[in-house]
Amino acid sequence: MQTKSAQRWIDRIIIAIMAVLGVFMVLPFAWLFSMSFRAPGEAYKMPPSFVPPNLDFTNYWAVLHSSVPFLQIYWNSLMVAVVVTLGQLITCTLAAFAFARLKFPGRDSIFFVFLVGLMFPAQVTIIPIYLGFAKVGLLNHPIGLALMYLTSSFGIFLVRQFMRSQPKALEEAALMDGAGYFKIFYRISLPQLRPALSALGIITFTQTWNYYFQARVLLEPHAAMTLPVAMDLLRGYMASGNLSVVMAAMSMAVLPVILIFLLAQKLVIEGVTMSGIKS
Amino acid sequence: MMLRTRSDLEKAQTRAGYLFILPSSVLYAVFVLAPVIVTFVLSFTYYDPMAGSHWVGLENFQRFFTGDRSLQIFGNTLCFSLFAVTGNVVVGLLLALALNRAMPAFLLYLFRLAYFLPVIIAAAFVSIVWGYFYGDDLGVINYYLVHLGLPSVHWLTSSQTAMMSIVIMDVWKNTGFFMIIFIAALQGVPRNIMDAAIMDGSSYWRRFFRIVLPWISPVVFFAIVYASIGALQVYESIVILTRGGPGDVTRSMSIYIVEEAFDNFEIGYAASISVIMTLVILVITTIQLFASRRWVRH
Repeated sequence: MQTKSAQRWIDRIIIAIMAVLGVFMVLPFAWLFSMSFRAPGEAYKMPPSFVPPNLDFTNYWAVLHSSVPFLQIYWNSLMVAVVVTLGQLITCTLAAFAFARLKFPGRDSIFFVFLVGLMFPAQVTIIPIYLGFAKVGLLNHPIGLALMYLTSSFGIFLVRQFMRSQPKALEEAALMDGAGYFKIFYRISLPQLRPALSALGIITFTQTWNYYFQARVLLEPHAAMTLPVAMDLLRGYMASGNLSVVMAAMSMAVLPVILIFLLAQKLVIEGVTMSGIKS
Repeated sequence: MMLRTRSDLEKAQTRAGYLFILPSSVLYAVFVLAPVIVTFVLSFTYYDPMAGSHWVGLENFQRFFTGDRSLQIFGNTLCFSLFAVTGNVVVGLLLALALNRAMPAFLLYLFRLAYFLPVIIAAAFVSIVWGYFYGDDLGVINYYLVHLGLPSVHWLTSSQTAMMSIVIMDVWKNTGFFMIIFIAALQGVPRNIMDAAIMDGSSYWRRFFRIVLPWISPVVFFAIVYASIGALQVYESIVILTRGGPGDVTRSMSIYIVEEAFDNFEIGYAASISVIMTLVILVITTIQLFASRRWVRH
């Protein structure tokens, strides 16, 4: 009896500790949203706010009318993330179908070569890509960043694994009826892939939204930048007095990812963890 | 009725197969395979598009492994990785153990949400926020430290603490990812073995070290490898928090590559540093591949 009540106390203490730590996990986000509503003159006043003091959108207005082309930058980020996401959904699904369902010479070795790609960091491809982009005039164009990521080994792997766990009786029956492979892919396989595709879509979008290293190297002028690089620039531009304006920009920058996370929490967590467990 | 022969089918299948992988293959060859090969070649050259590039053999590598500055940067990267990996994996495992106990479902939901949130937000964004938290005079953390009567800390401006401050932020940002992986692993520990151990009266930590840890060890090993690969590439958190300083104490290999390649146009030398980074990652991954095969057999 005694150990049981002791056990219950331990459970309570652990929940309390987890709650306190959990508050610390979200504190920086509470701070950035709250500070974005402070009047610029009071930005550095202590104590800091962790709850919005008012709902005055002046700072948001200031971001849009600053010398940094924020709307253009936001559009760049959105365009790159959408193009990459759609591109990967198409290329990865097509390749995954071939690797999971079709037999052709060299299939397994080609798949292996794709998997090897998971080991190469962006650092080892960036120099030739920079030199190549400079040559063909893609440097400083956000679309160049998008082109680099139109397919991904991880995406192919993810969809292939999912497809292999699905029964293929329907596809075989359609083949016997004389349907072509593209028709089988489009009519039968694709509709079954919805869970895998939404996971891949969400991971790819957030990942692309967050790219910094590649964007910083390839996109230099302000009007070509994506948000992660631009935020760093904005901070320098608006130095001391304008912390609240920087945080207004930041709030807008993190908004899409936070919205996606809140709306599809389960998918995001499963997807991101799957993206880890790849090899 | 049209009769399809076996070889017809095979031919059609082969053609379809190549067609389906064509877009990915072209993109992969252009944006991954070719650049990797070019980087390897560049690492053995002195690159100068104007006067002409020439072969220098292992000179770039020699320069990296004999220079004081480059060795310091190599050391910084390894040191950061060691602390960040340990922090992320240990904290992630402790959080997973805490969440693996009986608790109300809505609390579990909230905790997962809170601990995972930093994982999906760009390091570039959260580093700016942490930059304000870590400020010397106007920093949020120092405000509360002084308020509590404690001395303020030079989080980012002292060479003793700067690297640790970056590690702390990294653990805050990434540990939720490892927590989720470990929760999944812990749920795979067989219930009956655990129940038997509880019946035998063995203590919680004894059970943890004798049963749970060995059972989930492949996942722990994977987490260490995965965290190491990420940590070795550390870039934006350092660029934003300290720009590599004070001095060079927080400069990482990625920062060094970008500076050498795009500020100093030492393309060959920069390529050799990325090759070294890739080789380190390759070695770590290969060890994991072999080790996990072994584990699976047991």
